[in-house]
Amino acid sequence: MSQPETPKQSENEELRIGVFICHCGLNIAGTVDIKQLVEYSKTIPDVVFVKENRYTCADPGQEEIRKGIKEHKLNRVVVAACSPRMHEPTFRRTVSEAGLNPFLYEMANIREFASWCHPSTPQEATERAKDSIKMAVAKARLMMPLQTIEVPVTNKALVVGGGIAGMNAALDLAEMGFKVYLLENTESIGGHMAALDKTFPTLDCSICIEGPKMVDCGRHPNIEIIANADLVKVDGYVGNFKVKIRKNPRYVIAERCTGCGECRDVCPIEFPNEWDMNLGTRKAISVPFDQAVPLIYTINKDYCIECYKCVDVCGAREAINFEQQPEEVDIEVGAIIVSTGFDVYLPYDMPLLGYGKYPNVITSMEFERLILAAGPTGGKVIRQSDGKKPHTIVFIQCVGSRDKNKYPYCSNFCCMYTLKHVVQLKEKYKEDIEVYVFYMDIRSPGKGYEEFYDRARQNGVNFIHGRVGRINEDPNTHNLIIRAEDQTLDLPIEVEADMVVLATAAIPKKGSDEIARILNLSRGADGFFMESHPKLKPMDAPTDGVFYAGACQGLKDIPFSVSQGSGAASRAATVISKPKWKIEPIISVVDESRCRNVTAKCGICEDKCPYGAIKIEPNKPAKVITASCHGCGTCVAECPQDAITQLHFTDAQILAQIRAALEENPEDKILAILCNWCCYAGADLAGTSRFEYPPSVRAIRVMCSGRVDRDFILEALRLGAGMVLIGACHLPYDCHYISGNYKMKARTDALKNMLTKLGMSPERFRVEYVSAAEGIHYAELIREIDEQRKALGKEKIKAENAKLRSIIENMLRRKQQK
Amino acid sequence: MPLKTVKKDAADALTLEWILHVKRYKLALDKMRCVGCQICSLACPKEAIKIEKQPKVQGQKAKKALVDIDLEKCNFCGICDVSCPYGAIKLTLNGEHVLSVLDKESYPELIRDIKVDTHQCPKDCVECEDACPLSLIKITRVGYDGNPVEDVATLPPSQRKRVQINLDIQKEYCPTCRVCEFKCAPGAIKVRKFIEGKIAIDQKKCPDGCTDCLDVCPITGALYLSEKDNKVYVNELFCDYCGACKVVCPVDDALTLKRTKIHHTPVRSGAWNKALEKLTSPVGTVKELKAHSSQKAKETVCRRFVCEEEIR
Repeated sequence: MSQPETPKQSENEELRIGVFICHCGLNIAGTVDIKQLVEYSKTIPDVVFVKENRYTCADPGQEEIRKGIKEHKLNRVVVAACSPRMHEPTFRRTVSEAGLNPFLYEMANIREFASWCHPSTPQEATERAKDSIKMAVAKARLMMPLQTIEVPVTNKALVVGGGIAGMNAALDLAEMGFKVYLLENTESIGGHMAALDKTFPTLDCSICIEGPKMVDCGRHPNIEIIANADLVKVDGYVGNFKVKIRKNPRYVIAERCTGCGECRDVCPIEFPNEWDMNLGTRKAISVPFDQAVPLIYTINKDYCIECYKCVDVCGAREAINFEQQPEEVDIEVGAIIVSTGFDVYLPYDMPLLGYGKYPNVITSMEFERLILAAGPTGGKVIRQSDGKKPHTIVFIQCVGSRDKNKYPYCSNFCCMYTLKHVVQLKEKYKEDIEVYVFYMDIRSPGKGYEEFYDRARQNGVNFIHGRVGRINEDPNTHNLIIRAEDQTLDLPIEVEADMVVLATAAIPKKGSDEIARILNLSRGADGFFMESHPKLKPMDAPTDGVFYAGACQGLKDIPFSVSQGSGAASRAATVISKPKWKIEPIISVVDESRCRNVTAKCGICEDKCPYGAIKIEPNKPAKVITASCHGCGTCVAECPQDAITQLHFTDAQILAQIRAALEENPEDKILAILCNWCCYAGADLAGTSRFEYPPSVRAIRVMCSGRVDRDFILEALRLGAGMVLIGACHLPYDCHYISGNYKMKARTDALKNMLTKLGMSPERFRVEYVSAAEGIHYAELIREIDEQRKALGKEKIKAENAKLRSIIENMLRRKQQK
Repeated sequence: MPLKTVKKDAADALTLEWILHVKRYKLALDKMRCVGCQICSLACPKEAIKIEKQPKVQGQKAKKALVDIDLEKCNFCGICDVSCPYGAIKLTLNGEHVLSVLDKESYPELIRDIKVDTHQCPKDCVECEDACPLSLIKITRVGYDGNPVEDVATLPPSQRKRVQINLDIQKEYCPTCRVCEFKCAPGAIKVRKFIEGKIAIDQKKCPDGCTDCLDVCPITGALYLSEKDNKVYVNELFCDYCGACKVVCPVDDALTLKRTKIHHTPVRSGAWNKALEKLTSPVGTVKELKAHSSQKAKETVCRRFVCEEEIR
């Protein structure tokens, strides 16, 4: 893709700006004096047409804009209405329908930023709205036509994690005709479901229903399974991800292994089988379970003694290669589905339950392997201490889950799998077995689940509502004495059991932080991946083109994981079914004639770019990889030569906005530069929530706080701004451009030190972090800053500014001379 | 129950365990039998065994080196069990002595070639029993009537002739030092060492008055103190080349020990080749592999020309 030229404004073009002011019913007009606004707008230089509308976003309102452009030959449009986060795309479409470039339109936010947040001071709100329009016009004067960048989409998908959710997503996409890479970090796909005995509430055999799906994945011509491999790196963006995968060595050549198992038979070495929850063993060359897909044997070099008996027996097939090395492969995909699943908590750190100490205390997952016919005991439930069948079994619910000190959330499926276990036991051993379940609540809110609970009760299982205090062991018999509270009878209770089964919490998969880092995802307080919107975008990651399926996003049982897998597949298809993906052209471009790297060794921009989208070669100007540029503008602010420009957010445009904002009474104003995703959204929320705050603030929107140049702050202070605020996303992880807020912080910390030393009161320049959900925080913040401004007093501010002005002017001049 | 890994270090034994729900692997080192030689640490394919030299206390005899096994690295393969010349290590699975490396022919068994012809034994001789430095030999006598005989001297000469002698050697603990063979006057015992090699002490480098090697040598007579110059000399005849002396020797190269050949059951295994290389030398391994391949070549030639008789 070619690098877009810096668009140049034709010098002799006469500016004809149209201003459209929206009443928004009474939302704006109820507070702000629209008449004043109209009259004022007419006085702004270059404005040739002003029009007010009851609802600009409605069809008649949009028609007015189109008509205005045509009839008055408008070449810039300013809409003074709601937040650009609300209707910017709408009006862009409107102006382009009238034949004007959509990037020649600017929005003045006079609803969230004026009428809604200053209802009790209508005159001040009107003044603020006037300034908003003036700022928007100032920016509009300098705007240039831009072309939306279209990039081709790779019509392939990557599914990370081959459990039941990932497999379903892969199968659905493959059936739609897309090529799918199914990445799995263990030796076989299948996930937790492949390790289960039966599934609730139907008691279907788990592997019998999952096995065919695994085979389908293995045989589908559109699915390529990459098992025993790790995700290393993901570059690129929606539609065009470049993924690096490391295939870990199996020491068996996949193409040659026939899965016959002769090597396993001759291998002398056994080691604990993690897949069996370490209840049994497997050979040093083996598959984790017989139904593994792909059916390729793996040598565990940690245990192998390298006797080469397997090599001998493999013979002419020559499938074994002890010299195999990790192999890195690069693939290109258009969308990524994350389905990494969950882990099971092992309660070693709950000493009162005796797990790991008493041989007959096991977890439900271990019980699952005991009762499974293909498990290490051949389906016999036996005790570790003496190998005998237990007669009394106690199940304890919510071990780790719903526990403020461990995992405060409900693990979703524990109640149901315990019901499954007790029904299985009762139906297998009948009167021969006594079963107790200690529970907090039995949660069975699924189709056929409550009926299944009834079935367990009808089978004579003793359900006891109460928490278990501690478990003691009789050292002679290794029987366990459970002390608990029966809440129904309000009495302490003691039960002696042969075996205790703990329904432990399901927890975020180990390595989730690594996946989150690689894919730039965020995780909630519980450690599971955060979706873009909990209600309306439950499968979308905050990174475009990345989707979630299954328990990695939040715990769910098999049918829900399957549904979400299919859902994620359809979401991914919305991306990869398109031939082209549109990118907003708000990217960075380099002025090659000014780039310092041509004559000296610089490379600051390459270093600061959070996306690695700038490449530097010695003695050549820096180069922006357009497709990788996300448009944060950090490089623009960092460039010591001002050689980089961010389209649609140029230095000149933002400086013009600052100058417009501070034209009158600058000492009384708070100049705020807010990042689009967090602080601007937070300020919007303050408006929509009608949190009132002082109207002295003048806000400028940038995409990322990383865009905030030192020059902006210096210019604001030179012009005499009372207070300066920079609003950013919270540290450390909230920045939508990975680390723009950090870069801004480093830059402004140094600047603030310097300004303070020069005699500026420190509270006059603040960097604050406000999230999109913290409207109240934004309102309080502005109130606080305004109080500080008043406390300092106009005279003191003026005096400070007078002292600063000459130094700042020197600094700015020196820079221009460079 | 989840996997439990246990390591216990008691005065008389070091035990390592993997306790799984259905299996229990146990590796036990009998510290009474262990002499602190290097064999197990050299043979271990996972390099899990460390030999730690004991600090020497002035005026006391040198102590044999201690063996430590790393629970993290050990894979319970049992190669140390098979390799130990003194039978000090035992691997059990669910209480039974199971060695799958032998069953699967991944590792050879050492051949303790001891032939005893009790017919040649004098009826009242106990030389070998007394001589065995590890007290592994037990002589029992049975009279004509099948009853055990306590003292041959008390029997009348006619019955004395009909006394049968049984020589019971605990082979699994025997390092084949050949002491018994040489003490046996009539030559009733024939022992072949399973390790062949060379041992020498460089008297120039050997420090005066140091008897560390002699202190730890488990075989009486393999090393001795010369009355002439008060230095330790080697009697190669009895040395089993275990290397316990080499471990404690305070001076580099004062004592050189080379193993050149190990007699073992036939095997084709990478694990054995590696162990052999470490126990002997690369040369030793090459020699054995060559012998193996020339044997194979010979067999192939025989098969092709059907002329077994002539070639043999």
